[in-house]
Parts: sequence; structure tokens; C-alpha cells
Amino acid sequence: MSIIKKLALVIVSLSLVAVSSVSSAKPFSPKKPIELIIPAGQGGGADEIARLVQGVIEKNDYASKPVIPINKKGGSGGEAMTYVKKKAGDEHTLIITLNNVLTTPVNQPELGIDFFNDFTPLARLITDTFLVWIATEGKNTQGVETFDDFIALAKGNGLVMGGTGSMSEDELLLGMMRGQFGFDAKYVPYDGGGAVAKGLVGGESDFTLNNPSEQMGFYQSGDSKALVMMTPERNPAFPDVPSSYELGYPDLEYYMMRAFMAPAGIDAEVEKYYTGLLHTVYHDNEFQTFNIDDGKLMSWLEGFGLKDFLAIEYAKHGEIIKNFN
Amino acid sequence: MDVFILLLEGIFVSFEPLNLGLLIFGCLIGLFVGAMPGLGSVNGVAILIPITFIIPPTAAIIFLAAVYYGAMYGGAISSVMLGIPGASTAVATVFDGRPLAVKGEAMTALTAAAVGSFVGGTVSVILFTLFAPPLAEVALRFNAPETFALMVMAFATFVGLGGDDVPKTIFSILIGLALSTIGLDLITGKPRLIFFNIPGFLHGINFLVLAIGIYGIGEMLWTLEETKGKVQMSKLSVNMKEVGRAFGALKKTIMAMNIGSFLGFFVGILPAAGATPASLMSYGITKQLSKNSKEFGSGVPAGVVAPECANNSASTGSMLPMLTLGIPGSPTTAILLGGMILWGLTPGPLLFTQEPEFVWGLIGSLYIANFFTLVLNIALIPAFLMVLRIPFAILAPVIFVLCVTGGYAPTQSLHDVWLMLLFGFAGYILRKLDYPVAPAVLSIVLGPLAEKALRQSLILSDGSMGIFFDMAEKPIAAIIMYIAIVLLIMPAFGPLYRKFFKKAQTT
Repeated sequence: MSIIKKLALVIVSLSLVAVSSVSSAKPFSPKKPIELIIPAGQGGGADEIARLVQGVIEKNDYASKPVIPINKKGGSGGEAMTYVKKKAGDEHTLIITLNNVLTTPVNQPELGIDFFNDFTPLARLITDTFLVWIATEGKNTQGVETFDDFIALAKGNGLVMGGTGSMSEDELLLGMMRGQFGFDAKYVPYDGGGAVAKGLVGGESDFTLNNPSEQMGFYQSGDSKALVMMTPERNPAFPDVPSSYELGYPDLEYYMMRAFMAPAGIDAEVEKYYTGLLHTVYHDNEFQTFNIDDGKLMSWLEGFGLKDFLAIEYAKHGEIIKNFN
Repeated sequence: MDVFILLLEGIFVSFEPLNLGLLIFGCLIGLFVGAMPGLGSVNGVAILIPITFIIPPTAAIIFLAAVYYGAMYGGAISSVMLGIPGASTAVATVFDGRPLAVKGEAMTALTAAAVGSFVGGTVSVILFTLFAPPLAEVALRFNAPETFALMVMAFATFVGLGGDDVPKTIFSILIGLALSTIGLDLITGKPRLIFFNIPGFLHGINFLVLAIGIYGIGEMLWTLEETKGKVQMSKLSVNMKEVGRAFGALKKTIMAMNIGSFLGFFVGILPAAGATPASLMSYGITKQLSKNSKEFGSGVPAGVVAPECANNSASTGSMLPMLTLGIPGSPTTAILLGGMILWGLTPGPLLFTQEPEFVWGLIGSLYIANFFTLVLNIALIPAFLMVLRIPFAILAPVIFVLCVTGGYAPTQSLHDVWLMLLFGFAGYILRKLDYPVAPAVLSIVLGPLAEKALRQSLILSDGSMGIFFDMAEKPIAAIIMYIAIVLLIMPAFGPLYRKFFKKAQTT
């Protein structure tokens, strides 16, 4: 930041102080670097979005202080959530969500996390969808052209599914599909979506339920194909893949949410500041282009709409977990 | 030949002013993050990713690859000079590099590290250039059973690592394995061994915390006791005779270079392994196959060359699955992969044909980065040697501070700093009692990889161990497994064999 910019900032903030002493409402701006907690490892989907958000903020100087991403991957997000819970009232901490924020409080009650009271939801930026993938030359899935072919095959044979770890989104999805279609599969966990995709193409597993970006390379090269996308509509990044609604399975709908939350107990002004910052990032051209090309859905949600959405998703995941065991 | 034209074009790309400037700058940053304990290539690359949004992708990957590369060289510096592993990839370099420095042969150790790194890096980038597509196919066929067999082979080489005291070595391996199970269960996702419900244990015991504790703090305590705070070495001269001696010592390390280069590259291209296991395995196997394996650990140049050669080789190797399959071969490439996606590239089988400038520019830059870091490292050796002229009473607090920041940096958690100190004292006591600590460090790295591969395989085979010995279905796994068993038995019969062999030689 140049000296002139800094000076300008000082003048602006001084004048803001002057204004605020009159109006008594004090707009918030960060006073030290903002910690962005990522409840997953480096190189995964949440990490990618977190670092993209950081990059967009830094490149365009959207915030007056730097954003520092910190990975706390332990305990399926348990470590990160415990950390943020302890930071109640802290004005310089944010957390990006995976769906593990919905499942870990239920699966690990010993952590004592209250999803609805320990965090301040700020905004949802993106939702990521899931697809059913098979290898084009899979030895156990020969002749499978449609999702119905696949269901018929999966019912009779114990297929092997590669996934990203126990009680992760894709294993819950398998649980959902078991209830809906009456087939089961042998679930083999891998380290992240990339390794899952490789296991499929390498012939170790028969199908996967990966995110679009995780399988994009093998999709474009023709090594793997998708049978259904679990959304109401087709996705422009995968024009030839039918949606679950088209195939007549509207119950097969599932999303991964990329939302941001702050610790509990922060002032409304702070909440407003970060929501505004995220909103600026959301409308950034680069941010939009990247995510759309990657097959993600841009789905801004804030305020009461977000709270309702989280409540519904939380209940839905509780139900899936209950039926799972 | 197509490949050579493409490669030449790639080298031209990396000679463009912006790219060359970034390459040199990246190597320097890499040397620094590698040499700073706790700041390894993973952190270096992660911190620098946002900067790369403002430059073209090819320049960005050349820059970050140079950082990655430089860090492999830099890690050796603090391992040798201070006895603190500068990065996880340089832990094995401490085993022999530090004793060499203490013996007054720091020059030899640093030269061996630089030349070893250069050889490993160059061999692997040549392999990369010539055989990338078929090797990608190998990586694709290398699944859970094969990985587990490879891990068993690695463990087999450790048994011989602690010298002749096999029970103490096995004890050390088991401590490492037990520590590696703390944290999150890899398959069920449930927390495991969370002592006193302290949340810091949820992310497990970071291997660097153990390594910095044992080697940094433990070594510091040990040296303080030995030197009573005085200058460690008084006679340190850099003259042509010393330089000649340092290079002369490399003659005996040819086998280590071969093992390091090829094994390192091979381990590098396997998903999820990377340079740290590669360097540790290379050390173990070189020691096992060496004629004077008993001298390993007391300061032999081959013990520095083996891991340094392997970590550079593996870091190049791990870019292969990243580019061709879109899967990271190491933690650092996991971040590079994220970077590639953010720059708008799709890693995968089509990348070589869709983005030739990017791929070949990167490969070309690796040749140049290797050469540049070698020259830089050799030239800087006299500067590094100055460290040893500082009295230890001054050096010790500096080492202590570096250890604390090094323990804090990877996870940004104070919990890990306390653990690191605890391991430091434990390491000091173990050393007093003459327990080998290297096997513990090795098993905490490979433990989780082995556990995951074993459990994945057993899920696939419905619990049958036969999956590892099935010559018809999984020949690669079976062959590696049999080699592993032979290696495991060797240390037991080793003394007998040597006795017999010596007799045969003298008669």
C-alpha cells in the first residue's frame, strides 16, 4: 500500500471516527490480520475456495488487513470448530464451512459444540454438487450407459465405491442412495477427491460420488463419465449429464455448501462488515468466472434466509446420520 | 525427436526475462524457507500462492516450483549446521550430516548435500522428460495393496537402522507407530487417543514437532553438556585442499546417488508419499546395502547424499501425478495443484497437449533451477560455515528460538510447542540411554501411510491378507512384499553373512 493510500485511509478513518461520534454507530474495520480457519487439509475443496477468497481480497485490496488462512483439519472439522467456539467475541476470526460443520457436532457430541449458538453465520457463497461417476473402461461397469443401468447392476453386485472418508459427504450420500434405491456398496476411503478419482480410473473402485472439479480432468479426457448430477437442473460445465429431476429422482438432491461463519457474540457492526466484504468478493469477476467454469453453483444467501437454510440442512443431516447406522 | 524440441522450447520459455528472474528469486526464497526450521516448502508455497494471481500461469508455476526445489536444497543447511531439520524432507540429512559437522567435516557434508541434490534433481527431471506418460500409467496402477507392500519394505529397512541392537530399534519403531495413531482414525473418522481431551491432539502428532524436538532440542541439550558452551570447532579453514577433500569424498557415494535418484523418483510419483518418506527410505536402503553400514549415523557422506538425492528426485517425481493425473504426489504439490486450478488450468491427462507451454516451461525450468541452486549452494558454503565459529553459548538460544518457531509454524498451535519441548527432553534421555531415535521419526511419517493402505486393502479383500501375496491379480504388490520379507530377515542373518563373506574373501 502506498503512503498516499495509507494517508488517505487515515484521513478516511479519522473522519469516520468524527462522524461516528456524532451518529454514535461505529462502523467496524479490522485492526489486525483476519484469521480464516479451514476445517480441512491443504489442497482440498474448502482450502481451494478459502485461498481463492484470500487471493481476491489481497489482489484488489478489499480489506485493510491481510487474510491468513489456517488449516485445522483434525477430527473432521472438530478441531476447527472447537477453536472458533473458544474465540467467542473475537472480531478477527472467520471459518469457511464444509458440510462437516453440520455432521461433526452430531457425530462427536463429546466436543460440546452447539451449531446454532456457537457461531454467527455470515453468508453462503457457493454450493457444490455431486455426481455419480464410473470409469469409461471400468471392468465391473461394462455396458452401463444410464443411471438406471447402474442401479440395476449395483443391486445385484457388491460394487466398490471410492470416497473421501468416513461420515464425509459422499458416504452420507451412499447412505441416502441405499435407502432410496436399495443397493449397497463397499466403501473405501481415500485422501481427498483427487485420490478418489485416481482410484476409479486406476480400476480399484467401480464408482465414486465426486464433486465436479475433483473429476474434471478425467471427465475432459474421457477416462470417466458421469451418470447423473444431483441437482434440479443440468450444469453448463457438464452439458451431457442429466439431472436427477430429469431422471425422475427428485429426492436425490444434495449440496456441499461453501459458507462463512464468525464466532458467536460479535457485534452487529462486525457481522455487517464481514458480510459486506464477502459480498464484494462474491461479485468479483474473477471469483465468478473461476467458480462457474469449475461447475459450481453461485448461490449467495445471507441473514434469515441463510439461518433457515442452515436449520433445514442441519435437520436433514441429522436424519441421514440417524438412518445411516 | 518430438520430446527434445518440446524440451528446448520449454528451456527457452524459462529463459524469458520474467521467468528467469522469478526462477532465481524462487530458488533464493526456497533456500531460505528450507533452511528455516518449521518453514518448509509446504508453508513457503502456500504463503506465496496469492502473489501468483498477478502473473501468467507459466511464470507462476516456474516460481513456485523453484521455491519447492530450493527448499529441498535449503533444508540440508540447518540440518548440518545446527542439527535442527530445516524441513521435514531434510530430517534424514541430520542423521549423518550433523555428526559430520561435529567431526569438523561440515564442508564435506554441505558439498555432499548440494551435489547429491543436484544429481537427484537432474536424474529425475531426465526421467520425467523421457517417460512421463508411461510413468503416469504406473502411478495409476499403484493402489492400496502396492502402497502397503512398499511401506512394509520401508519398515523392513528400518530394523537395520539402529545398529546391532535390534530390540532397542524395534522399541523405537513401536514408539513412533504408537504416536502416529494419535488423532483422527483414518477410516472411521473418530477421534483416537485424545489424552485428557486436549483439542490439540485432534490433529495428531505432527512429525516435524517430533523431529525438531528430538533433533533440535535434544541435540542442543546434548551439545551443551559436551561443549560446556564453548566454540564447537576451532579449526575451520576453507582452502583448496579442503574443497578437494570434500569432492573426493563423493567418490564413495555413487551407490547412494543411484539409490537416492531412482528410489526417490519412484516414491515421488506415487500419490500421497512425497519427498519426506522418499528421503527416509533412501537412507534406510542405502545403509542396508552399504558395505560399511555400521558407520552410518556416525557421519558418512553417503548418509547425507542418499536422503538429499532422494528428496530432490522425489519432489520432481511428485509433479508427475500432479500434472498428468491431477492428484498430488506430496503435500506441497497438493497446494500447487490448488494453484493450478485457481490459475484456470485443468490438471489431468489432457494437460500435456492442451497447455504445452506451461508443462514444458515447467520441465525446462527444473533443469535450470537445479544448476542454479547447485552453484548458489557451493558458493555459499563458506558463509554457512561461519555458523560453527560462534560459541555454543550464543548459538544455543538461537537454536532454541528456531525450534520454538519451527514447532509453532506448521499448525500455529502452542500445544505443539509444548509437545516439541517434551519430545526434546525425551530425546535427550533416550540418547543418554543409547536408544536409536531415527526409527521413531521414520515410523511416525510412514505409520499413517501404512495404516491407511493396509486398511483400504483389507476392506477391498474382505479382511484377507492374501491380497498382498496374489501373484496373478496383483503381481507388483506380491513382488514388493517378498522383497520386503527378505530385507526384514537380512539384519538377523547379516552378521552371519558378513562373517562368511569375509572369510571367503581372505582365503
